Amino acid sequence: MTRHTRRGAISLSAAITAGAALAACGGEATGGSGAPAASSAPVKIVYWGAFGGNLGKTQEEVVKQFNDVQKNVVVEHQFQGSYADAANKLTAAMQAKQAPELVVLSDVWWYKFYLNKALQPLDDLIKSEKVDAKDYVDSLFNEYVQGGKSYALPFARSTPLFYYNKDIWKKAGLPDRAPKTWDEFTKDFVPKLKSVIDSKQFVFAHPSSASYIAWVFQGVIWQFGGAFSDKDFKIQIGEPKGVQAGEFYRSSIKDGWAQASKDVDADFRGGVTVALIGSTGGLVGHEQAADGKFGVGTGFLPEGPAGFGCPTGGAGVSMVAGLSKEKQSAAFQFLNFSTNPRTQAFWSQQTGYMPVRKSTIDSKEMLDFLKLKPNFKTALDQLPRTKFQDSARVFIPNGDEIIGKGLERITVQQEAPSVVWKDITEILTKEAEPVLKLRKALGG
Amino acid sequence: MTSARDARQAIVPELDARHRHLAAFVLFVAPNFLALALFSYWPLVRNVYLSFTYWDMIAPSPVWIGASNWIDVFTSKPFWRISGNTLTFTVVSVGVTMALALAAALLLNQKLLGRDLVRAVLFAPAILPGSAVALVWTFLLAPNYGFVSQLAAPLGLPSIRWLTDPAWAMPAVLLVVIWRRVGYDAVIFIAGLQGISKELYEAARVDGANAWQRFRHVTLPGLAPVSFFLLVTAILASFQSFDVIRVMTSGGPVIATTTLIYQVYQEAFVAFNAGRAAVYATILFLLMLSLTAIQVRLVERRVTYE
Repeated sequence: MTRHTRRGAISLSAAITAGAALAACGGEATGGSGAPAASSAPVKIVYWGAFGGNLGKTQEEVVKQFNDVQKNVVVEHQFQGSYADAANKLTAAMQAKQAPELVVLSDVWWYKFYLNKALQPLDDLIKSEKVDAKDYVDSLFNEYVQGGKSYALPFARSTPLFYYNKDIWKKAGLPDRAPKTWDEFTKDFVPKLKSVIDSKQFVFAHPSSASYIAWVFQGVIWQFGGAFSDKDFKIQIGEPKGVQAGEFYRSSIKDGWAQASKDVDADFRGGVTVALIGSTGGLVGHEQAADGKFGVGTGFLPEGPAGFGCPTGGAGVSMVAGLSKEKQSAAFQFLNFSTNPRTQAFWSQQTGYMPVRKSTIDSKEMLDFLKLKPNFKTALDQLPRTKFQDSARVFIPNGDEIIGKGLERITVQQEAPSVVWKDITEILTKEAEPVLKLRKALGG
Repeated sequence: MTSARDARQAIVPELDARHRHLAAFVLFVAPNFLALALFSYWPLVRNVYLSFTYWDMIAPSPVWIGASNWIDVFTSKPFWRISGNTLTFTVVSVGVTMALALAAALLLNQKLLGRDLVRAVLFAPAILPGSAVALVWTFLLAPNYGFVSQLAAPLGLPSIRWLTDPAWAMPAVLLVVIWRRVGYDAVIFIAGLQGISKELYEAARVDGANAWQRFRHVTLPGLAPVSFFLLVTAILASFQSFDVIRVMTSGGPVIATTTLIYQVYQEAFVAFNAGRAAVYATILFLLMLSLTAIQVRLVERRVTYE
C-alpha cells in the first residue's frame, strides 16, 4: 500500500512545487531526474505475495536474489496475507486501477480472474524469452492452460501428505510408516494409538472449512471412487461413492479417533494430534517446530476402497492483463526467474513446495538433498500420482467453502451425508451457472 | 405608492438577513452533508441497486438480474438461521452486558478500597483492538491445553471444544464480546449514577424507602437517559460486530456464529457475490433504521432528562 501513497504524494507535491516534491521523495526523485534517458532507469514491478512466516522469508530472499542479479527490473514484493486475502485485495485494486503487475493466485482463485479476462496470456512471452516450457512438470503447467493459452506459471505447488508423530508411532508399536489403507488405519493403527495417547490427545485432526478441509477431502472422495463433479460442472458429490466417503468422515468423529480442530498444524506441532493430512508446503515448518520434541514421519495418502487418490494444490503466479509491452517483459523476467530450475531448487528445499521444473527434480543437487530429507522424497515420489482437482471445488465461485461447510455439517454436526450432499449439490449447481455462462462467452 | 415603497424597503433588509442566515446555514452544513452524502448516502443508494444485480466484483460492471437475489436469500435455509443468530447475539450481548455493567457500576460507585484500579482494569478491554482480544481469547479457550480448560480440569469439569462445537461457539463469541464491552458501559453508568442528586436519596430515606425501593424509584429513573443512550449504541454496535467473530470462528462451525453483518462479508469477500451481499446489507440497514426509529419514538418519550 505504500506504493499508492507515495505515488499520490509525488504527483500532488510536484503539482505544488517541484522543490517540495524533491524534498519529499528524497534520493529516488533526484536520481530519476538526473538520469539521461528513461530507458536506462530500471522498470519497477510490484509483486503481491501470499506467503508469511518461514515461507515469507524465503519469498523475500527470491525477490532479493532477482534484484541483485540484474539491473533492468526492480521487483517490490508486497505481502498481502492469505491466498484469499490476496485475491480479495486484487479485485479491489483492479476496480481502483491500482493493480500490481504480478500476483500469487491459488488453485481456487486464478480461474475467476481468467473468466473476466483480467489475466495476461503468457505464451508470447514464453516464446520471446525462450523459456523451455517443456521443462515444467506437465501436469502442473497444464492446469493453467485454457483455450490453448497459459494464464499462470506454477510456483508454489503442493499436494496433501500424510504426516505422523514418529515417537507416538513407536510407543504404540507401529511400523515406522504411514498406513497403506484407511482400513488398516482404522482397524489396526487407531486402537494401538488410542492405547498410548492421553485423554487430551487425539489420533487425527480435520481442519475447518476456512482451512481447506475440502482440499483434503478431494483426495478422500477419489479414494472412495467418487468425485465432486466432472470437468463440465456436473455435480457428482451426492452419488453413492460420495456419500460413502462422507460416511467415512462422519464415522471418524463418531468413532472417536478424529476431532475438528481450529488449527491442525498447531495441534500436530504441539503433540495434540498425532496424525493429519496436510500440505507439503507445511513440511519444513513441521520439521522445525518438532525438532528436538518428536520425529516427523510422512507417507502417501492412505488408499480407500477404490485405491489411491491425491490432488495437486497450491499457487501459481499470474500477470495482470493490460500492461505495456515494457512492463510485460519486465514482469515476465521475474516470473521466469521465480520458476527457473535454480530458484525452484532453492525455494522448494526451503519450503517443502514441489519443484515445478523437471530439471530441478533430476538435478544432482536435488538428489543429494533428498538423501538428507526422506520426508521431502515422499512428497516428490507422490507427485506423479497426483491429479488435477474437480471443477466444482476450484472453478465454482466459493466451491471450496461450500463443500467445506458441508463437511463441517457431516463431521461436527454429525448430519447424514446423503442429506447434506443433496443440499450441496443444489447449491453448487446454482453457483456454477454464472461460470458456465462466462465460459461459453469465452468459447470454452 | 410611497407606502408601498416604504414597505418594500422595510422588507428587503429582512429578506437579506434571512438570505444571509440561509447562506451561513448552507456554509456550515455543506462540508458535513457532502461527506455524508459521498460516504454514507450514495453507498446506501448504490447498495440497493447492487442488490438487483449479479456482480463478482471483477467484471467491469454489474449485470441487472431483477429480484432474484432477494428471492434466493429469502428462500434459502441459512437466511433464517442467520437471522436467528443475529437476534440471539444482539439480545444476549446487549442484555447481559448492560445488566453486568449496571451491577459493576453500583459496586464501583461505593467508596471501596482500590476502586479506581478496578475501574481502570474493567475499562481496559474496551480500548483494546477487537481482533487482538479475539486472538488472545482463542488461545485461552483452546480445548485441553488452553488456560480456561486447565482451570476447569481440577474442578472436574469437562474440556469444552469452544470454537469447534456448534453448540458452544456462539456462547464463546458472546463471552468475549460481553467481556470487552462491559467496562465501557459500566463507566457510562457510573457517570449517570454520579449525576443523580443526593437529595433525592435523602428524601427517599426520610420517607422510609428501603434499599430496593431507593434503587427502583430513584436510581433506575435517574439512569434512564444513560440507559437509553447505551441501549441504542449497544444494539447498533452489536449489529456491526465483526472482528471478534472473524478471528475466533469465521462464522462457523458451519454457520453457528454467522450473523447478518458476517454474512455480508462472507457473500462479498469470500463468495465474491456483491449482489447477494447487498441484499444482506440492505436488510441490515432497514433493520437498524426501524429499530432506531422505534427506540426514539417509544423509549425516548418515557425517558426524562430532568
